[in-house]
Amino acid sequence: MSVLLELSELRKSFGGVAAVAGASFGVADGSITAVIGPNGAGKSTVFNLASGFMRPDTGSIRFGGADITGRRADAVARAGLVRAFQTARVLTRMTVEENMRLAARAQPGERLGAAWLMPRAVARREEEVCARAAELLGLIRLQHLARDYAGALSGGQRKLLELGRALMAEPRMLLLDEPMAGVAPVLAEQLLDHIRVLRAEHGITICVIEHDMDVVMSLSDRVIVMDEGRVIAQGTPEEVQRNDKVIEAYLGRLAGAEADRLAEQAAS
Amino acid sequence: MGVFNPAFWIFVSVIAGIYAIMALGLYVQFSLAGLPNFGHVAFMAVAAYTMAILAVRYQVPLLWSSLAGIVAAIALAFIFGIPTLRLRADYLAIATVAGGEIIRYLAMNLPDLTGGPVGSMAMLGPTKLAMYNGGWQAMLGAISRAVSSFLGVTLSRDAVMAAIVWILAALLIILIWRLERSPWGRVQKGIREDDVAVAAVGKDVVAFKMQALVLGAVLGGLSGLLLAFQIGVFSPDDFLPTLTFYAYLILILGGSNRIYAIPVGAIAFSLLYSGTRFLNFFPLSLFDSGSRAFLRLFLVGALLVLFMALRPQGLLGDRRQLMLEK
Repeated sequence: MSVLLELSELRKSFGGVAAVAGASFGVADGSITAVIGPNGAGKSTVFNLASGFMRPDTGSIRFGGADITGRRADAVARAGLVRAFQTARVLTRMTVEENMRLAARAQPGERLGAAWLMPRAVARREEEVCARAAELLGLIRLQHLARDYAGALSGGQRKLLELGRALMAEPRMLLLDEPMAGVAPVLAEQLLDHIRVLRAEHGITICVIEHDMDVVMSLSDRVIVMDEGRVIAQGTPEEVQRNDKVIEAYLGRLAGAEADRLAEQAAS
Repeated sequence: MGVFNPAFWIFVSVIAGIYAIMALGLYVQFSLAGLPNFGHVAFMAVAAYTMAILAVRYQVPLLWSSLAGIVAAIALAFIFGIPTLRLRADYLAIATVAGGEIIRYLAMNLPDLTGGPVGSMAMLGPTKLAMYNGGWQAMLGAISRAVSSFLGVTLSRDAVMAAIVWILAALLIILIWRLERSPWGRVQKGIREDDVAVAAVGKDVVAFKMQALVLGAVLGGLSGLLLAFQIGVFSPDDFLPTLTFYAYLILILGGSNRIYAIPVGAIAFSLLYSGTRFLNFFPLSLFDSGSRAFLRLFLVGALLVLFMALRPQGLLGDRRQLMLEK
């Protein structure tokens, strides 16, 4: 499989603190790749760099064969690399429907002149946009809230809406920053299904930051483990689980705590 | 002039219409795109001065000098926008506050070009009286004569001006209303809510903000031109920073985020503002007229504070939308 997103030797410091210190990894076209690591490992910063919301100090980012290093966020999104945020950023004083339609591509009515002078072309495209928005709202099960203000949605629903809005932008690849965080278990299960469907039916490549190890193990083809701004291991979920460095840096703390608890139980 | 003099109320309605266009410019920038422009008056001043300088000093026909005035307002929008629109909204606010005052001080301190503190009539020096709106007055007169010969009613020039201003205001409001409901308006509203989220789905946020700033500047410039035509001579004192805040008050009175509330707000504001000049009865008559003028500003301010406290959504606003959490 070819590599869709390739990050090479990315570095980013904030006032002397290196959040990302030479991270390199690739995401294969059509894969679901999970990025894991303890808090402060630099996962979210890597996402910010890849999506153009921050510029790397050094290093390069290639997407679909083109160098996108230093491009602005909107240009990166138009190239097909669309992100969702850790805390969902919905447009609260607009309706759910408007949130979705806003993200549509190629709407001539977004140009000032066409908005005034080409009402027919605008209306024609708007019809397609509405149909697509309705379809995607069905997929994320929010169609019954289409006319409500997005500010009235719960945290989990906002996450779903943000995912739907990202899909309206017709991405080749999605960057999802903790899509399950704050989502009720039943809803999270649905969200997982959606993510699998997106890859299987629409061929959308997905890169996801996730803390829940069960989710990571069941969802992803490939896992990238970060610690202190570097990639310390990568491979299939099974390989990563058996990797000593990973156990030490990340899973090890949990495993150690569990061992201590068992030892305590045996002693009493 | 007394309360019952129709000429006075026609004059007030002209000013209200001009204020409606001025507020419409701010509506595009602030209510629609979320750009805090605290120097809207600068667009008005730049357009008026450019027009007057070209018309008086270079005898440029009024149409062309007016167009040049609008172009100057657009240029000023780029000067404000290019350095600040990539940054947080606060920086545009600061740039426009300072920019508005810089324009006024320039007008005050370049007397050879602008007539200085004396105003536009001193543009050709102290010995020659400079007038820029002869063409405009002639046009109003011609329209007035044409109306009276066709319909048999005599209209004053002010009445013709009121009709022109309000027809223009209505057309522009319809135009902007259509724009607001277009996909362009949807992106602007999104940017107002959260520009990061809008950039994340691939919209060029800076370009959209610049378009809103420029469109608002065109409307601001137009209202500046109309104001200049109406008052005949103007000086830097006609473009005080308070004018920008009148535009905000009009948006707040009518209800922010409601475009059809702008004429309501403009009329309400003009009634408040000019109506208070009739507060010349006891006990207010104990103050001399100069102090009463200040009292008027004080009363307008107090009324607006009351408004914000009791009806923050304005006369026609939607309280439900205002109360939504971010």
